[in-house]
Amino acid sequence: MSGQLYTAYHTAMAAGTKVILIFVLTPVLAGLVGAVLPATGWFPPLGGDAISLSPLRTFLLEPGLITSVSLSIFTALTATTLSYLLAIGLLAVLVGTGGGAFLTRLISPLLSVPHITIAVGFLFLLQPSGWLIRLLSPWATGWDRPPNLNLVPDEMGWMLVAGLVAKEVPFLILMGLSAASQIDARRLLEGGRSLGYGPLTSWYLVVQPQLGRRLFLPVMIVLVFSVSVVDMALVLAPSTPAPLAVRILVWFRDPDLMRQFVAAVGALVQMGLALICCAIWVAASAICARIIRHICWSGWRLMTHPLLARVGRFWLLGLAVLPCALAAAGLTSSLIWAFADIWRFPDGLPSRWGLAAWMMTGDGLVHAALTSLVLGLAAASVSVFAAVFWLEGVSARTRTGGQIGRVDRWAGTRAEGLIYLPLLIPQAAFLFGLQILLIWLGVDGMFLTLLWVHAVFVFPYVMLSLGPSWRRFDTGFTDLAANLGAGPWRRFCAVKLPILLIPVLTAFAVGFAVSQALYLPTVFASNGRIATLTTEAVILASGASRQTLGAASFLQMALPLVVFLAADLAGLARFRRFSWFRV
Amino acid sequence: MTAQRSFPSFSVLWMLSALKALFAAGLMAFLPFSTMAADKFETFVDQARGQSVYFNAWGGSPAINAYIAWATDQLKVRNDITLIHVKLTDTADAVSRILAEKTAGKTSGGSVDLVWVNGENFASLKRQNLLQDEGWAFSLPSFAYTDSAALPAIISDFATPTDGLESPWGRAQLVFGYDTAYVAAPPRSASALANWVKQNDNQGRFTFPRPPDFTGTSFLKQIALEVVPDSSIFAAPAPANMDSADAMLRPLWAWLADVSPHLWRAGRHYPVNYTDMVRLLGDGEVAIAMAFNPAEFSNGIAQGVLPDTVRSYIHEGGTLANVHFVAIPFNANGPAAKVVANFLLSPEAQLRKANSEIWGDPTVLSMAKLPPEDAAAFAGLPRGIATLSDAQLSHSLAEPHPSWVKVIEQGWEKRYAAN
Repeated sequence: MSGQLYTAYHTAMAAGTKVILIFVLTPVLAGLVGAVLPATGWFPPLGGDAISLSPLRTFLLEPGLITSVSLSIFTALTATTLSYLLAIGLLAVLVGTGGGAFLTRLISPLLSVPHITIAVGFLFLLQPSGWLIRLLSPWATGWDRPPNLNLVPDEMGWMLVAGLVAKEVPFLILMGLSAASQIDARRLLEGGRSLGYGPLTSWYLVVQPQLGRRLFLPVMIVLVFSVSVVDMALVLAPSTPAPLAVRILVWFRDPDLMRQFVAAVGALVQMGLALICCAIWVAASAICARIIRHICWSGWRLMTHPLLARVGRFWLLGLAVLPCALAAAGLTSSLIWAFADIWRFPDGLPSRWGLAAWMMTGDGLVHAALTSLVLGLAAASVSVFAAVFWLEGVSARTRTGGQIGRVDRWAGTRAEGLIYLPLLIPQAAFLFGLQILLIWLGVDGMFLTLLWVHAVFVFPYVMLSLGPSWRRFDTGFTDLAANLGAGPWRRFCAVKLPILLIPVLTAFAVGFAVSQALYLPTVFASNGRIATLTTEAVILASGASRQTLGAASFLQMALPLVVFLAADLAGLARFRRFSWFRV
Repeated sequence: MTAQRSFPSFSVLWMLSALKALFAAGLMAFLPFSTMAADKFETFVDQARGQSVYFNAWGGSPAINAYIAWATDQLKVRNDITLIHVKLTDTADAVSRILAEKTAGKTSGGSVDLVWVNGENFASLKRQNLLQDEGWAFSLPSFAYTDSAALPAIISDFATPTDGLESPWGRAQLVFGYDTAYVAAPPRSASALANWVKQNDNQGRFTFPRPPDFTGTSFLKQIALEVVPDSSIFAAPAPANMDSADAMLRPLWAWLADVSPHLWRAGRHYPVNYTDMVRLLGDGEVAIAMAFNPAEFSNGIAQGVLPDTVRSYIHEGGTLANVHFVAIPFNANGPAAKVVANFLLSPEAQLRKANSEIWGDPTVLSMAKLPPEDAAAFAGLPRGIATLSDAQLSHSLAEPHPSWVKVIEQGWEKRYAAN
């Protein structure tokens, strides 16, 4: 009887995971087909009704292609490498000394702020007419007009790298903290130190290789995102020529519709770039692993003078904090702009404060903010619900052993890899084709469609955030409840969910932040009809009104903060009940 | 051959979309045959009641957005039409979206009902048959106030006949703005500008929006018209061979080679569009900027973006002038969009648009054809301190044939955006 019930329950679960998988994969696969066909010359509405190589040939003749491609690869690999090394370094401090509460506090708001907001902050802070030079001029620099310097964007793409690092270090730290607790990093660290390695050396030689293995998926996500980022690149990357992802968007938007073919080839090349970057990463980390093994075998302790070690640690910390500190200062200057009526160069602060920006376009912004809020809450709810469904299905099945073995293994391992596909394929590669699919279905520009596409991107992040805590759950609690006679539903609702409430709330807040930051998916799925704060900010970033842009940034910071705080308070309320219960 | 192109038998997707089209055509047969005539306009007004119109228009200027917001309120009150401003970063976005809808076989209920276009984007839409035909624009009641004999550009968009596929909305002329704090006498020709840019004091104090931005490309067209000895070549289509077309522009490339190293940020980076450049003028990063709206600089002073030392000027030989339009895509909500287009062209809406305290976009209406009280209202509009008089603006140049745009943009891209 009970076994039969279990089987029915699990069949339902397996069907559920399949439905989730279909919802996640359909847009990606359909979108890819929609890119492959025009790239091979088959696009009947434009008269392309034969397979040909001419789109490829036209693409290869695009001026500055090599520079664009190398710029994309350079910024992506540099940003990812720096983010990884800095995140690992900061994790060493956080886990090793346990004295990094301040750092976490500094970093976690950055995690919730959309990429475009960080980019705008960099612009406001570091461009020649930016806040930094305003604060130093003219008393220190002698400039009464902004200097003619290529600061933001710079010529090499370092600003884009810095912007990405500021955004990805917090993400990798969040992922790393949960990975570090899984491998019991502190014990490994003590082991390394008892063998005579310094704290930092033992971290990089002993803990890092294991941590790195668990961070592989997040790092790949960061890498693919970096190679295909558009919104941040529009503001921070060089433009003569721009990185490949930006140029694909320009080709898609060209009034000469024949360029659609070129754009489609570009989308596929973008995918190739992502693959190449991942391959380079894998090869480089294999080489590093070999070197580390050699160092370990050779018994070389890499001992340095304690003073030198301390200086080194200080530098590492400084380097890791710098992009985040710059981002924080940039966000501050955005806030000032939001409430500045007149702020001329070289005044350090506005000469007249006021709400001019809010008066002028306040209505449009408030409307966009409401859309972002509702969309974010809905996408996060759907994704958390799906994630709980998925994880619960997989974990319950794992516990019943080989009963439905084949399905189990499929849903548990291979299928779970598939849900990360939307993050591992460059967005530009499948979004145009997806747009055609949505229009053909007649569902483009509808709120539900936008919600669907957002959920496709939000769900994997929610899984990344929620998965580890869910798998670590001590089943002793539910077993005890079962012994006390609680059914599966009661066990889940009254025991498991309350215990995992805080990870669930955190995953919800992360999901909300991810939805806030989505740019390209919003543009393509909403068919331009639905404006979110992020799409508004990208438009405003190329306009004259820095006040309105500041106001948009203000709202973009405020929304996730409110949601994070609400999640925090909800968790707190639960804990209070707990302590009251104990008393 | 054509039939095969429309109905490729090997694809279910295309079969289905063809079926959809047939179905729509069948429905159309039951509708009364309607010719666009002024007396029919009233039926559009009736049909439009309670409808929504998605107006796709560039959204980078707060002043323009505020004007469209005013039009939204008016249309709601007068015609019970809900106008929704879809803010574009680039008009070509809307063009590619309409194309995507055609690709998907969406022949009605399209996402774009009305789109703000001209020049290259219009030529592209027209060439691909992406617009509603019937010459609707000529039969709008407000069109009677225009005079295409006096202003041929309202029926000939960058030398492409409009055929009534788009309704005129406003006029534009390339105008330069300069800060009198840094520039005593502005350079009033392409060669004077080149000399000014190369002077030691002015290093890095001039730039233009990065082509293919509309204003940036227009600036290059302006220079081409001034420096190419025989400017009559621009009235005809550019040679199909890109290399020989490029060679005809050799004086333009020489001018750019001379000037580019001395531009803002050494020509390694360019402002995104003209509002971005006006901001640079406000900060003192550049000393000369340009815009396609004669009132732009007065506007900037009024909003506190520009210091009140900014004034405007045009080149001695005249500057580019053109008309911008609104067009209705093939799959749009036609009747309601026509009512909106008619309102935008009405004397009242045009008067408000021409007010430099609101937008300052010159009217396309003919003063001679307007009722005297309306003409008087236009004559009495305030002019900002940095706006030129109509007499000063009277030197204008006709737009080159749209096919030159590609030659100029690709030539520039190849030389200045590819290393």
